Formats: sequence, C-alpha cells, structure tokens
Amino acid sequence: MPGKPADLVQGTLDMLILKTLALEPLHGYGIGLRIEQISRGVFQVNPGSLFPAFRRLERQGLVRAEWRSSENNRRAKYYALTGAGRKKLKRETQEWEAQTAAIARILAASAGEV
Amino acid sequence: MSLLRSLGVGLRALFRKEETEQELQDELRSYMEASAGEKMRRGMSVEEARRAARLELGSTEAIKEEVRGAGWENMLETCAQDLRYALRALRKSPGFTIVAVLTLALGIGANASLFSVVNTVLLQPLPFKNPSRLMMLFEGLPQVGSPKIPFSTPDYTIVKRGQKSFEAIGAVQDKEFELSGHGEPDRIIGARVSASIFPMLGIAPVLGRFFRPEEDAPGQNVAVLSYGLWQRQYGGRPDIVGETIELDRQPYTVIGVMPRHFVFPLPGPIANFLPAALWVPMAFTPAELQGWGMRYDLSVLACLRPGVSLQQASSEGQALGAAIEAQYPRDILKDFYGARLLVTPLPWHEEVTGPVRPLLLVLMVAVGLVLLIACANVATLLVSRAAARQREIAIRKALGATRVRLLRQLLTESLLLALLGGGLGLLLALWGKDMLLALAPADIPLPQNVGFGLGVLLFAFGISCLTAILFGLAPAWHTAASKLQQSLQEGGRSRTAGRARHRLQNAFVAVEFGLSLVLLIGAGLLLRSFGKLLQTDLGFQPDHVLTMEIPLPAQAYPQASQIRNFYQRLADEIPNLPGVKAAGIADDLPLRAAVFHTLQLEGRPQVGKPPAVAETWTLGNYFQTMGIPLIAGRLFNPQDGPNSPPVVIISRGMAKKYWPGQDAIGKRLRHEEGQPWITVVGVVGDVNDGPVSRPIQSHIYIPFVQLSDALTAENVVGVARSMNLAVRTAGEPSALATAVVAKIHSLDPDIAVAEIGTMTQVISSSLAGPKFNTWLLSLFAGFALFLSAIGIYGVLAYAVTQQRHEIGIRMALGARPRHVLRFVLAWGTRLACLGAAFGIVAALALTRLMKGLLYGVRATDPLTFAGVTLLLLSAAVLASLIPARRATKVDPMVALRCE
Repeated sequence: MPGKPADLVQGTLDMLILKTLALEPLHGYGIGLRIEQISRGVFQVNPGSLFPAFRRLERQGLVRAEWRSSENNRRAKYYALTGAGRKKLKRETQEWEAQTAAIARILAASAGEV
Repeated sequence: MSLLRSLGVGLRALFRKEETEQELQDELRSYMEASAGEKMRRGMSVEEARRAARLELGSTEAIKEEVRGAGWENMLETCAQDLRYALRALRKSPGFTIVAVLTLALGIGANASLFSVVNTVLLQPLPFKNPSRLMMLFEGLPQVGSPKIPFSTPDYTIVKRGQKSFEAIGAVQDKEFELSGHGEPDRIIGARVSASIFPMLGIAPVLGRFFRPEEDAPGQNVAVLSYGLWQRQYGGRPDIVGETIELDRQPYTVIGVMPRHFVFPLPGPIANFLPAALWVPMAFTPAELQGWGMRYDLSVLACLRPGVSLQQASSEGQALGAAIEAQYPRDILKDFYGARLLVTPLPWHEEVTGPVRPLLLVLMVAVGLVLLIACANVATLLVSRAAARQREIAIRKALGATRVRLLRQLLTESLLLALLGGGLGLLLALWGKDMLLALAPADIPLPQNVGFGLGVLLFAFGISCLTAILFGLAPAWHTAASKLQQSLQEGGRSRTAGRARHRLQNAFVAVEFGLSLVLLIGAGLLLRSFGKLLQTDLGFQPDHVLTMEIPLPAQAYPQASQIRNFYQRLADEIPNLPGVKAAGIADDLPLRAAVFHTLQLEGRPQVGKPPAVAETWTLGNYFQTMGIPLIAGRLFNPQDGPNSPPVVIISRGMAKKYWPGQDAIGKRLRHEEGQPWITVVGVVGDVNDGPVSRPIQSHIYIPFVQLSDALTAENVVGVARSMNLAVRTAGEPSALATAVVAKIHSLDPDIAVAEIGTMTQVISSSLAGPKFNTWLLSLFAGFALFLSAIGIYGVLAYAVTQQRHEIGIRMALGARPRHVLRFVLAWGTRLACLGAAFGIVAALALTRLMKGLLYGVRATDPLTFAGVTLLLLSAAVLASLIPARRATKVDPMVALRCE
C-alpha cells in the first residue's frame, strides 16, 4: 500500500458508492473493498462512514436493499442502484468531471496564460 | 416522494425500533464475516482474520450511533433526552423552579386572561349573521359638532323608505316595563324592536317564533322573552309560549323565547345600549310618526347589500339627509343654523367596541410589560444558576458536547419552564378573566360570556414559547459560549466570565426597572386622576340622601293632572315621616346625565350654535334635599303653580356665562319661538351632571307643575312619569327605605319602585369605571415593582456571594463596613437609575396611549414622573439593603481562607 490512504473529498463517498453499485449489486463489505481495489488502495473506506452513507442513500431512494445469500452462502444485505440513483450518479459524474477539469486547468496555468 | 419515504422510514425506525436495530446488528455482523472471510482467503488464520476484521470495523456502538444520527427521528430522541435531562435539572433545584414557574405563570396568566377578553370584544366578529355588513345608522349635523344623533321616528321612516344600500333595516329602542301578574311588580329593561331586526341578526328563538311583519303595528300585544327572564320568572316552563303576561298593566301574549347567550341591544353605543330582558314590536304610534324634530332616540341597524361598500352607503346617506331636510317643518330647520343634515352608516362592531377599546389596549400594553419584566427576572435567575452549573457544563463540553447541543439543551430547559408557567398561567387566566368581568363596572360594556377557546390556548402557548426564547436565549448563549478551560479553572472564583455574567444580569435588572417605571407611571397618572375626581366639587351634599325612582304606568295614569297630583302628594307627605328632614322630586339626579335642551335668551340675537343647557324638572324641596346652595333670588315656592307666571332657576355657571357682570334675576328665556318667556327667579350653585370627569354644564331648573300637559302625560319614553324621589334623612338613609316605600304603596300599592339607593352610591357607581382602571393598572404596577425589587435583590445577593473574596480583601486592607455598605448600595442604585432613565423615555412615549383615561392630569405630568421615579429608586435601595448588610458581615479571615 503506497503511503497513507487519502481522505475522501467531502461529499464524494456517496458518488463512489453509487458508481460501485452501478456495476453490480453488492453488500456493505463488498462495496468498501471494491472502492479500495479500484482506487488501488488510495481510498480506504471506514465502516463508520460507510453505514451512515448507506442509510442516507436508502432514505433518498437512490439505492434499495435486500437480504440475499452471498457467494459463500452467508446471508448479507445487498444494495442495488434504483432509477433515481442512476440519474443522480449521471448528474454527479458530469458535475465532477466539469469541476476536476476546471481545477486541472487552474493548476496547469502558467504565468503567461493569464 | 423522497420526503415521504424518509418520513416512512423514520417512523418505522421510531415505532419498530428493535427491528431496525436488529437489522443493523445483522448487517454489521455480516460485514465482519465478509471482512474476515476475505482476510482468510489472503492467508490469515481464522483467529487472526476475526481480530483484524473487528479492529477494522472499530466500535460497532459508534457506528450504530452514527447511523441513528443520520435520520430525522434521531432529533426526536435527542429532544426526549433533553426533556428528561431538563426535568431532572429542574427537580434538582426546586426553589429556582418554583419561583421561575410562578413568575411566568402570573405573567402569562395576566396576558391570557386579558387576551380572552380582547379576543371576544375586539377581535371576534359580532355573534350574528353577516357581522361585517351590519351597520348602525345615525343622523347628524357634523357642521355644528353633532355628527352622531340617534334617529327620530319620522326621519327613520324616511330613510327606511328611501334607502337602497341595505337589504334589511330596523329600529331599536330601550324601554322600561312594569312586569306584573307574578307576585311583586317588577321593573324590567325591555326593548321595542322592528320585526325586521331578528331575521337580520339571523338568530332563531329556542321556543316559539319571532314577530311577524304584520305584528309590528299598534295594538298587537306580543312579546318575546329572553332566556334569562324565562328561567328566572317562569321557571323555564316550555308552555309559556301562548300565555299572557302583564306589561305596564296591559296584557301581552308570549310568542317566543330567545337562546341563552343572545344579548340585544349590545352595550356600547351612545343610545339604547341596555341588554333587554324581553322584546316587543316597535309598533310606532300615530303620534310618534307625527312628532317632527321631537324625540331623537331610535337606534337604527341595517345590513349592507352584498357588494355595496360603506362609502357607497355613506354617499347615499347624504341624499337621504337631504330628503329628511326637505320634509322638515320650516321652524325646525331654523335650529340647524345652516348645517346640512347627514345620515351616516358606521360599522356596528366599532360602535359596540369603541368605548372599551382604549382601556383594553392600555391594559394589554400593561400586561405585556408585566410579562417582559417577568422574563427579565427569570433571565437573571437563569444567569445566576448558570454560574452554579459551570462545572457541570464544562464537563459536558469536555466530553464532547457541541455548543449547539448545549444551547439546545439549555433552551429545552427554558421551554419546559415556560410551558409549566404557561399551563399554570392558563388556570390563573380562567379565574382571572372571570374576576376581571365580575369587577368591571356596568358602564364598561364587557360581554359576560367571554369564551376561552382555541384562540386563547394558542395565544398562551405562543407567548409561552416566545417568553422561553426571550428569557432563555441570552443566558443559554452565554453559558454555552463560555470557554471550557476558563470555566474549569474558574471554579468558585469569578474573573472574566463572571464579569460578563454580571454585565448580563445588570442589563436585565436595568431593563426590568425601566419597564416597571413605565407601568408605575401609568398607574400613578391614573391614581392622580382618580384623586382629582374624588376632590371634584360635585355641587351638592351626597351624605344622608335616599333616592328612588317612582314610575307611573300610562295605563293607570293617563292624564297629566293625575301624574301631577300623585307626585305632589308624595312631595307633601314624605317629609311628615319620622327621620325625614326634607324631600324633593326631580326627573334626573345629580351625576345622572341630564337631558339637554336648546334655549333662546331674551335680548340676545341667535348667532352660531344655540346655548344647550341641562334641564331638570323639580317638585318639593329638591334644592334643600340635595344641599344645592341658593346664591341669589329665591327658590320655587307653592305659589309657582300651573297657572302662575312661568319661572326658572339657573345655575351660577350659566348666569356667569350668559349674563356676565349682570344680575341674572328677572332675565327671561324660552325653549323656542312661539312659547312663552320664562323669568329667572333664582341662581343656585353648579352641580356636576356626570360623568364626574366632564366639565360643569349650564343648568336650568323648572317647576314640574309648570310643564305642559302634553309633556307631562307623554307616554312614549315617559320621563315625566318616572320621576326620582330624593329624601334627606337624619340618620342612615337606607334605614328609611322601607318606610318610604310603604308610604308610596299606601298611595298606590301597584307601583314598582325602582333603583332604591343613596346618593353616595350614585357617586361611587359613577366613579366605578375610573376606579376599576386605576385599581387594575395599580395591581399590575405593584406586581412589576415587586418583581423588579426581587430582581435587584437576587442580582446583588448573588454578586455579594461571588465577591466575598474581594470584599474580604478590601476589609482586610481597612475598608470599614459602611464603605462596603455604600459600595453595594451604590451598585443597586446605579442599576435602578440606569433603568429609570430608560423607563422615563419609554413612559413619555407610552403614556400618550392613556390620554382618554386621564382627568385633570397631563400624560406627562412631571409630579407623577418624579414621584414615581423616587418610589422606584427607594424600592431599589430597600431591596439592595439586605445583600449590602450581608456584605458588611463578611469576615475577612473566613472569606480569604475559603479560597
């Protein structure tokens, strides 16, 4: 694991969870693991923020949950994206891309450009 | 949609708490298992993997707490927790709780009880159909200063025929009746009403029916009873409908009974304001319909057509006024002196509430101030309490309570206090408004059935919450914002935070004093007015005078000569009773508004407004009986008979006003052209016609026996047939009442003698209104003064305890007890002075509201302002004295050692 895992930018956890679930329905641990894997260990998600985030998303109707058997035949609560969640993810992704592009431009600016 | 979902999930979490908790528990377990499984796959042993997974997860309790915190239902739980905590905190200091709750209860109770009255009187619409369209109509000559005159019968009929703005119109007139046939004859207040009135009000009788239009005609003797009279006189028998009762010795058929809470006419307007016990049809007599310009005593009510505005109706009123003028006989028009007659519709509600509005508003401001003072008081208590709880708060902060959380907690405590106070206050209000209504004198027209409905409950709840914020916010903010380290260090000793606390308390106490001063000045002004009223020279000697009204029904005494003979016999025979010094008869008594008449004075050409003077008809030794002094000329004597030259006695003020520097004796005056001249034979002292606060009027006295037959036998209102007997007694006047009534009944056993009383009672009833205002405002002001004194005492006592150490050092360094005493007293006085300065400014602005309630005192009376400020300052010094003396008792050794 290279260095100390970075803190998530405020407010991005919800988006990352939605993105993870857009690939396939997952249970809580799976979601955390998936985020860690895809980010190549840059983000390690603390269960203490993961669970409130699930509850929040469930409340907003962006994900729905059901109890299912997991791959090793244990019961686990699986989360899946709803239609509203899909839309929200799309909107957030666009916003995120716009913002990061802007930030990148600012960071790349040299003295002559301005 | 998502709001609904959130609500649903939240509610489920609240009501199926265990299930939700269990699910979370299961999920956390499955998370751990998955985590451990993953670690095992990477090669850890079962034990290691479990341990690592548990470590990674951290405290499951903390996670659960976080998850719970995500939902709104969590707020409720925190609130419940705050509430439990607040209850515990309040229970732990019962002294503080009781004082705070009682203070608030009194403040809120006073407000709620007054609000219930204001709500019913000023805010609620009239309890009738289409209340906003109901108008009261007046005739008037605004150009000569008489904009509101009740209608005369012919004028009313013109308006009724000609108007187009109103869908219904009707007239009302108070009328006294002798109700007989059931034991003792009784005088009751009734009313003549047009058949259109009750359908217009939209109130149906509970029994029987109301008058039909064809019954609104002479000779149709039908009557509708009020609920009260039905219960009182006829035991609530349902078969009363159809029975015959006797009114003024004439048979009337009862055709209906009105509902219990039906009050009509409503008290308040300038005429016909006595709620009636029974109603008879208006049934104008032919004489009434003829009597041009004779009698202006009908109240006219009308209901605007939908869509017609008040302005439209008013402009139609101008045309109607012109139509009336066109019908007037020429010699009456002359008396208008060029003024145009107008018919003016005015909202009935305003006519009803007009007389009480200023009083209620002043009282509402007063109780509002009392509540503010109560708030300031509780706030100072809270600040002192915060000092005692400093450590507790500091520990809670150290354990991670945020400022917002603490603020919420402290405000919950305030809210709880306020709601407890509000609840208790509502109980007080329930009792208070009944007391208020019971004590209110009859000339303050308050309805007796004041409701205590949802409006009052909401009001009490609203002001409770508002007061909680008012008194709770500043102390709570101060406590929650204090620095942690400092609080922990400060301990018993007070430095900076202590200073801030003192500043806050000082501010509250100063505000309290300022507000109290406003109330005290208000009460002081009323007290001074009342004192002036009591000192007013009434112009007669009220002690040892028995009075009563002796009405002669028209049916038994149709002729003027019969009336004259009866009263003459009475005036001759009453003085023969033992214990009677003198007796006289008059149509009105001093302080009871006299009827005003216009006059012509011989040799004085009429310019502008004619002189209007009070006129009293007398018989017997009226002046000696009342103790009205003769100043010049002579009094009436038996030679001033019906056929001798007409004579008049005038008041000193009138003689001075119209014949200044001349001898008024021998001058002549008359009522109107064509009538004989009357010669002035005497001048007597000025008498107050009431209300006491009104300036003395010019007054003339005429021998009763010289009135015309027509005026004497007048059977419509019958002033001349319901004269007052006044008896000057040697001993206690009321002791003689039985003997006098027995004497009257020996002349005619059926006479319903009314209003038996003494002149002292007449005076006290005419002063009852101002007395009530003064009493009530003084009560509030006294309460405010008491609260402020407690406030200043509390602050200084607390400060002395806090500063024992400092005082100890001062004394150790050589300060004498009197220095310490002076130091504490100066502190208290400084606060009071600060408050007083602010109070005087506020009072200057606010006392203007009470102008209408004052008599002989200006709203900025410097004497009252100075006196009351002095009173307040001495109260402050007195209240500071106890803590100051305690400060001098501080033993330097003890004070220094306990640090």
